Amino acid sequence: MTTTLRTPRADAAPTPPPAGPPRLTAKQRLSRFDLKASPYFYTSPFFILFAVTGLFPLAYTLVVSMHEWDLLKGQGPFVGLDNFVEILGDSMFWNSIFNTVSIFLLSAIPQLIVAIVVAYLLDQGLRAPTFWRMGVLLPFVVTPVAVAIIFSSIFNEADGLANNLLNLIGIQDQAWKHDTFLSHFAIATMVNFRWTGYNALILLAAMQSVPRDLYESAAIDGAGSIRRFFSITIPSIRPTLIFVIITSTIGGLQIFAEPRLFDVSNAGGIGGSDRQFQTTVLFMWELAFFRRDFGEAAAVAWLLFLLIIGFGLVNFLISRRIATGEGRPNRRTRRALARGENR
Amino acid sequence: MKLSRRTRGVAAIAGAASIALLATACSTGGDSGGDGEDITLTVTTFGTFGYDDLYQEYEAANPGVKIEATNIDTGGNARTDAFTKIAAGSGLSDVVAIEEGWLGAIMEVSDQFVDLTEYGIEDRKGDWVDWKYEQATDADGRVIGYGTDIGPTGLCYNGPAFAAAGLPTDREEVAALLEGDWAHYFEVGAQYTAATGKAWYDHSGFVWNSMVNQLDEGYYTADGELNVEDNAELRDLFGLLGAATEGGQSAAQAAWDWNGGKSFVDGTFATFVCPGWMLGVVQGQVEAGGGDASTGWDFADVFPGGAGNWGGAWLSIPETSQHKEEAAKLADWLTQPEQQVKQSKAAGNFPSTLGAQEELASAAEPNEFFNGAPTGAILATRAEGVKAQFKGADDSVIQENVFGPPLQALDRGEVDTAAAWDQAIELLHELVEE
Repeated sequence: MTTTLRTPRADAAPTPPPAGPPRLTAKQRLSRFDLKASPYFYTSPFFILFAVTGLFPLAYTLVVSMHEWDLLKGQGPFVGLDNFVEILGDSMFWNSIFNTVSIFLLSAIPQLIVAIVVAYLLDQGLRAPTFWRMGVLLPFVVTPVAVAIIFSSIFNEADGLANNLLNLIGIQDQAWKHDTFLSHFAIATMVNFRWTGYNALILLAAMQSVPRDLYESAAIDGAGSIRRFFSITIPSIRPTLIFVIITSTIGGLQIFAEPRLFDVSNAGGIGGSDRQFQTTVLFMWELAFFRRDFGEAAAVAWLLFLLIIGFGLVNFLISRRIATGEGRPNRRTRRALARGENR
Repeated sequence: MKLSRRTRGVAAIAGAASIALLATACSTGGDSGGDGEDITLTVTTFGTFGYDDLYQEYEAANPGVKIEATNIDTGGNARTDAFTKIAAGSGLSDVVAIEEGWLGAIMEVSDQFVDLTEYGIEDRKGDWVDWKYEQATDADGRVIGYGTDIGPTGLCYNGPAFAAAGLPTDREEVAALLEGDWAHYFEVGAQYTAATGKAWYDHSGFVWNSMVNQLDEGYYTADGELNVEDNAELRDLFGLLGAATEGGQSAAQAAWDWNGGKSFVDGTFATFVCPGWMLGVVQGQVEAGGGDASTGWDFADVFPGGAGNWGGAWLSIPETSQHKEEAAKLADWLTQPEQQVKQSKAAGNFPSTLGAQEELASAAEPNEFFNGAPTGAILATRAEGVKAQFKGADDSVIQENVFGPPLQALDRGEVDTAAAWDQAIELLHELVEE
């Protein structure tokens, strides 16, 4: 971008410095307008769409959250921050936060590790690469609802596949839909099933742009494949890794379909008989559409929004440190390492 | 900056895509069938409604009317669907089926639905059992629903399971055996459980619903006051149910799943509370579980604690409908006694009009699936003495979200009866504003 901007200025330099404002022909003016304004027009569709589908709902939700608002009867009196106070003092809200974070950690961490490993394997010059890549992406094509229905049958407590397999190796039936940890594990499994391959492909794309000669020279220097993976691959894909971590954070904190459909026998799916796996989005849904309290539900939506921003920032900071990249101290350590190896 | 060509291409594609998105967003809606006489009426029902053949019949009799029907699997999901669309201010079908459990919440916004007295429902007032018509009448005298079915409750039982425990299997003997109050029902259940080691009923939630629906006043008093916490009658019934459940009479099934219907087939439980509309559900579950009529489910003319009504529905026309008059005409036709008889034959549910009830009672047609039981005639006797119960705005929330979870914990033996009741009261305070 900087180069394209600089070019016209270089063109303009030879013209004699005008006394007053330069008189431009219509064509010149049009061309200048084109130069200055076109980029904004090109990018405007996104911003217009974002304003309509993103910014407006965000602001409107804030308005709703400051009113008493019945789902059916509509707007009530203005109550300021009462809804937020109510929610922050509600144990069910905190329960839902705990469940969300627990499911998020159970899904995000294994998912990223497996995705990196899968991407690394796919990057090894396998035969029929397209076949393997498409195979990895296949679960992503299945809709979350279908995944949830299939897995809730697998984790059925009476006759499900999971329990039947456990029985084969002598383990008793497990209460997948009632035990807190097991239910979180089951839901995390659904998320992992769907997203691991997708993330692996994104990471694979990044890995393929790592210059091969780096690997070669490292190999010549005697670095083994594990060493090459940690010292070359991971640092080189750092920006992509950060992207994947942030998007999976956002997705992970918004889990809805999986817990909603995991056990529909409780009030049509409010997240377990004791809200063992009621995530925050599910709690918000129960508030809005069962209890018909739209105001409090909007407050939950905003709190969740803030939470996701917070989590995103923390993740960003952590992931900047994980992998050595362009940061200065990292480069120094790398040099130190190289010096050490030469010795 | 060698990428510039590619980025430009991407920008063009992104721009085109977003414009396409905007365009599609704008192009929905419209489709007003004004002049061409050809109109499409949308209808949303739930559960087993039995209307499919009637739609065809209506279309054949009314050229130019096309019916687009949607059926939602359960009443609970139909509620979410309807509530969401009311809140959004659009999207409701021209004819919407409303269930008794959430009628209370709908009545609070009854002005969102067409006053059917404008379409002559008053002339048909005598068709329905009186309380059915009154339940859909709001404080201003507006009537917002054509009654479809009511839910008089009888008892479904499994013949082979009864035989295995040495209990009678003939439906009249079963009726005589179980005649009495809930305590008596649980006594027989204790005998059954002792003899077979199996459960007597599928799960506590449905039994609890039928117990509550039987009372003169349920979760609310007749004047609309919340009436749960200090309601001794409710507490006593809860105690009865809890004792039986602790005694192993509940099969702790997940409702609307029943292990994929298999629990209906493999003798997991012996009895099942059956409001009229539930007969279709039972048949569907047995078939899903790989069973058929030979699985041995039967329907007895008896219900613990006497007559009770659970569920039933109305057909309403939302104010947002583009074809109110045509929709009202269709809903009116669908709820005529003649059509209700056909509906009942298709779905097994019980009609709300007196004419249809009489016809079913006198025909006493055997229901092949339920071991030849004359289900229509039995339901007609079960409907005798049914009283309407006032349903408050949060009735369905109390039923499902307040009492559902503690009863499930009780079924699974995680808590005892007293703790389950306390848990329910706690949930009531948290979930329902007084």
